[in-house]
Amino acid sequence: MWTHPSSGAILLAVVASMGATGCTEAPDDTALTVFVASSLTEVAADLTDEWASTSGVVVELVAGGSNHLAAQVRDGAPADAFLTADADLFDDLERRLLVNQATDQTADHVPTAIHDLAINHLVVARPTTGPERRPADLRDPSLVLVACAAGVPCGDAAAARFGDLPVDSFEPSARAVVARLALDEADLGIVYATDVSAHAGLAPAWPQKPTCPCITYAAASLSLSGNPFVAFLTSDRARQILTKHGFVTGPTR
Amino acid sequence: MTRPPNAPRSVLVVAALAMAFLALPVLALLQRAPWSGLVDLLRRREVVQALGVSLLVSLTAAGIVLVLGTPMAWVLARVAVPFRRLVRTLVVLPMVLPPVVGGTALLFALGRRGLVGQWLERWFDVTLPFTTAGAVVAATFVALPFYVITVEGALRTSGEDLEQVAATLGADPLTVLRRITVPRLIPAMGAGLALAWARALGEFGATITFAGNLPGRTRTLPLATFQALESDPEAAVALSLVLLAVSLAVLLPTRHRWLPTR
Repeated sequence: MWTHPSSGAILLAVVASMGATGCTEAPDDTALTVFVASSLTEVAADLTDEWASTSGVVVELVAGGSNHLAAQVRDGAPADAFLTADADLFDDLERRLLVNQATDQTADHVPTAIHDLAINHLVVARPTTGPERRPADLRDPSLVLVACAAGVPCGDAAAARFGDLPVDSFEPSARAVVARLALDEADLGIVYATDVSAHAGLAPAWPQKPTCPCITYAAASLSLSGNPFVAFLTSDRARQILTKHGFVTGPTR
Repeated sequence: MTRPPNAPRSVLVVAALAMAFLALPVLALLQRAPWSGLVDLLRRREVVQALGVSLLVSLTAAGIVLVLGTPMAWVLARVAVPFRRLVRTLVVLPMVLPPVVGGTALLFALGRRGLVGQWLERWFDVTLPFTTAGAVVAATFVALPFYVITVEGALRTSGEDLEQVAATLGADPLTVLRRITVPRLIPAMGAGLALAWARALGEFGATITFAGNLPGRTRTLPLATFQALESDPEAAVALSLVLLAVSLAVLLPTRHRWLPTR
């Protein structure tokens, strides 16, 4: 049994999810597989550690782009819960009745879905080695600007908030934008507020207040055994962990 | 199919299975193709744009491969290079290296904070990442080994007899190269170039890592296909068909010259 979500466990989960359309075995009671949007990678590790220490349930995390993970879930990947950065994807999954609807009977008002797990804001960031910028620099074509591609949650949110920008490269994930800035290959990048606070190599390009359009994370349980974990995500302890990582959580439910 | 006496049935069966394994995904792609809407899909601006970038990048890379790769293959085959085995291993390394790793290595070398790239920017005001030139660099990096090993193999199997005869008759080394070596090498150069060009056309990982992804500048057909898979799978299949058709159009005429000529 894995005692910790090791890379081996993640690899196994990925391999399983790649060819698992025919896999109908019931998931192991003592291990959960949770798919998380890549921008939640670090906070999800803390959340599942906390969950493991209180419930004794070991969680195997699979982090990736929300849209890729959603496609895997649609193809039958054995995930017990899904934390996505794209609420629309989530609605789509729910419409397809992949979100477990039958579980309210088994526990007292256990939420199988949380539509507003947390909020993350977009920040225009710069490498810490570069100079501080002004908002007008965002439209300066001589500066190298990178953003997420359309279809990726951070890309759609950036387009909704900033409109057309002289972007030099559309990256497949927020993490790829972070890497461009960390390597100092770009002057400006549109990333998540949580990424800026988590990476020493990144700083806000200028002082910015949290503004929407922004990202609302949603969580869904995809199996009976995923329900308690999703319910845990609404607890005060889980909200503390989310807040500690810079995510904005709503009023107590 | 008639069975020649030297072909055991078991070998034929395994070979047929291998053929089916290679052909099946292509057939599956054709079966999923949105044939009725195909023309409209292919006329879309982003498809035309990606095809243009792809042709520009892969043909330029093929030209550079020809110019750089021919001397390299000749030196590897004919000159007593010190540590030749090590050198040849380094030459073919990009063939086995994951392209994403290749792209990252290119960033460290030629990015604007890279080993050489920082001087390119400081002295010549040249930055390669996020430019079409950067996409050409990425494509050349992955394609060059295919050309070099094809041409080097042909040079080795063709031997040096004629060249030595020409030299004893008084031809200087450059004349030998021009009149004897290169003319005999042309079929292999064509085959190597076709392989290298096909590799450049299909290049994805090093391109997106080193050159980024911008329509009209660095978004090649494979990048556009990847992008379309997220939002518009039908367009992704259409783009794949374009890649398939362009590749077949170039590879089919060279089919007799795959192997180095003897």
